[in-house]
Amino acid sequence: MALEYGPVAVLLTFGVALGVAAMVTAWLLRPSDPYAAKQAVYECGMEPIGPAWSQFYARYYLIALVFVVFDVEAIFLFPWAAVFKQLSAATAMGAVPLVEVAVFIVILLIGLAYAWRKGDLEWTR
Amino acid sequence: MLNNFCFWFAALVALGASVLAVSRRNAVHGLLWLVLSLLAVAVLFFMLGAPFAAALEVIVYAGAIMVLFLFAVMMLHLGPAAQRQEAQWLAPGVWIAPGLLALGLAADLIAIARLAGDAPAGAGIIPPEAVGAALFGPYVIGVELASVLLLAGVVAAYHLGQRRDRSLGEGAGSG
Amino acid sequence: MSIHTIGVIIKDWLIGLLAGWGVPVELSRLLIEVLTWAVGAALCIIAIMLAALVFIYLERKVSGYIQSRLGPTRCGPVGILQSFVDVIKLLLKEDIVPAEADRVLHTIGPILFLAVSALAYVVVPWDEGGTVAGKVDAGVGVLFMAAVGSMGLIGIVVGGWGSNNKWSLLGAIRGAAQMVSYEIPMLLALMCVVLQAETLSLAGIVEDQKGSIIAWNFLRPWMWLPVVLFLISGVAEINRTPFDIPEAESELVSGFHTEYTGMKFALFFLAEYGNLLLVALIFSVLFLGGWLSPFGYPDPLRLPGIIWLLAKSLLIVLIVMWVRWTLPRLRVDQLMGLAWKLMIPAGFVALGVMCAVIMLGWA
Repeated sequence: MALEYGPVAVLLTFGVALGVAAMVTAWLLRPSDPYAAKQAVYECGMEPIGPAWSQFYARYYLIALVFVVFDVEAIFLFPWAAVFKQLSAATAMGAVPLVEVAVFIVILLIGLAYAWRKGDLEWTR
Repeated sequence: MLNNFCFWFAALVALGASVLAVSRRNAVHGLLWLVLSLLAVAVLFFMLGAPFAAALEVIVYAGAIMVLFLFAVMMLHLGPAAQRQEAQWLAPGVWIAPGLLALGLAADLIAIARLAGDAPAGAGIIPPEAVGAALFGPYVIGVELASVLLLAGVVAAYHLGQRRDRSLGEGAGSG
Repeated sequence: MSIHTIGVIIKDWLIGLLAGWGVPVELSRLLIEVLTWAVGAALCIIAIMLAALVFIYLERKVSGYIQSRLGPTRCGPVGILQSFVDVIKLLLKEDIVPAEADRVLHTIGPILFLAVSALAYVVVPWDEGGTVAGKVDAGVGVLFMAAVGSMGLIGIVVGGWGSNNKWSLLGAIRGAAQMVSYEIPMLLALMCVVLQAETLSLAGIVEDQKGSIIAWNFLRPWMWLPVVLFLISGVAEINRTPFDIPEAESELVSGFHTEYTGMKFALFFLAEYGNLLLVALIFSVLFLGGWLSPFGYPDPLRLPGIIWLLAKSLLIVLIVMWVRWTLPRLRVDQLMGLAWKLMIPAGFVALGVMCAVIMLGWA
């Protein structure tokens, strides 16, 4: 098991190593002359007021909620997609697998339609 | 040997990252430790021969739920005041009751593990295709019920987003 | 001769060599296995770096010609050394971190972004039997790619939040919202291909299209909708114009990398071009027959499959660049509307059509 995922671990290590190596090389070569004005947060020349870590538009949160629902749904469907041809080819099953998945998707589409109808998909309200 | 080492290493990372996720005062730092913990759990699933569960863990939890938490953190106001509040919540006395409960659960788990003997986990690899056949075969009722649950999620999202007082206008700024 | 055959020859030679030194066969097999991973991973990293060097030059030339200019001409003949000069310049730039930033997150943001974008290369089928992590691909290929893709935004969020700059944070949050929204149509388009090929493995998807160009997915009429959906959501996932809301320079200065200079900025750029190549590669694998030759299998021209794969990917990259310099940027509400009101319903339509095609036995 562990051996199968060996390349993944190696590539992850290499990716991180590349980033670190590039930063270290740059650190050795580059000048360093920090002063207060240079280290100020860039706001097109204006003095920044307060930190950026503040409140954000709530709509982002709602979009994320709806996204989670559809993400879960898509992931549920992937294993089904890989076997659907086999299942539907088995004559004893007929259209049963299709109906099963159609019910699953239609219930979710009702959700999408509801959110759409109620204006939940509008960015600005 | 190697499998066992990877399993224990991932388990340790998961535990350590979870502790850090709870104890960080800065919500975003906590969130990042949580992501690490979830990724370590995904590695555990891989090691146990459940690649589909592992992929699901990464996509749904480390990916989707992480974004959801991030937006929740951003939606709430989190400045130095929130950090001070968090520090108060993490006073030593607060740990006693949950700590005792967790100890009880851990004792339970150890007892069960002792009684059950060697677990069958890791005996074989369950390919996603087998999961698909099972989900839309014997467990189809569960899948359809899950879709109803997800529908409830979408409806709830709409009602959470309802603005009580429409005269407030663009309250929290937009972007 | 495919990469796979060359690899087998080199492996056999090495085993023979090690056996000559008295190393047990089991141990030498393991050593060679590890060596193969390292070589494969190193080649993936080199591919990303080359992609960045070539694509930056290409992008500047393409944009130049589209806008009736010449693009870079000064460094080397027709400006071909421009990218190398850029690298040297970026190496010598001072690293400026805002005093109020979260220094740790500001530093690990670019590294995370790069590492995650490199990770997906592990399941790309470069040639017949030429996937770096062949067994992972055979088991969960498409899901692995989707999982890595869903982690792609973490580098942006970490970097944008760590900068403590309003522009950066806005860019990062927008980026996260955009990337999650376009992930769903992408997954739905991917699902149509999985339904067609009956496998979750990317190498298997290429195998399914074996034959000349007429057997490729993009010529199957029920694949036209997924092709369009995948291309659009792919461009959106890698934050390129017309979907570059996260770094929209006319409104957010430079978005999530406003506070980045020198090498850290270069790492973000490297990863973005790495992602561009990745999306082009995956698109070629899904719809354009991957490493297959357009003249049939086996290839009558006897070219290595990787040449075909790279040629197809280059075509996709050029199309994406053409789009970038042609279309204006979308507004944030238009962007979300497009994803939720057009792409996602269209994705379900594509899925329904695909199911119908399978039930009718045409696929």
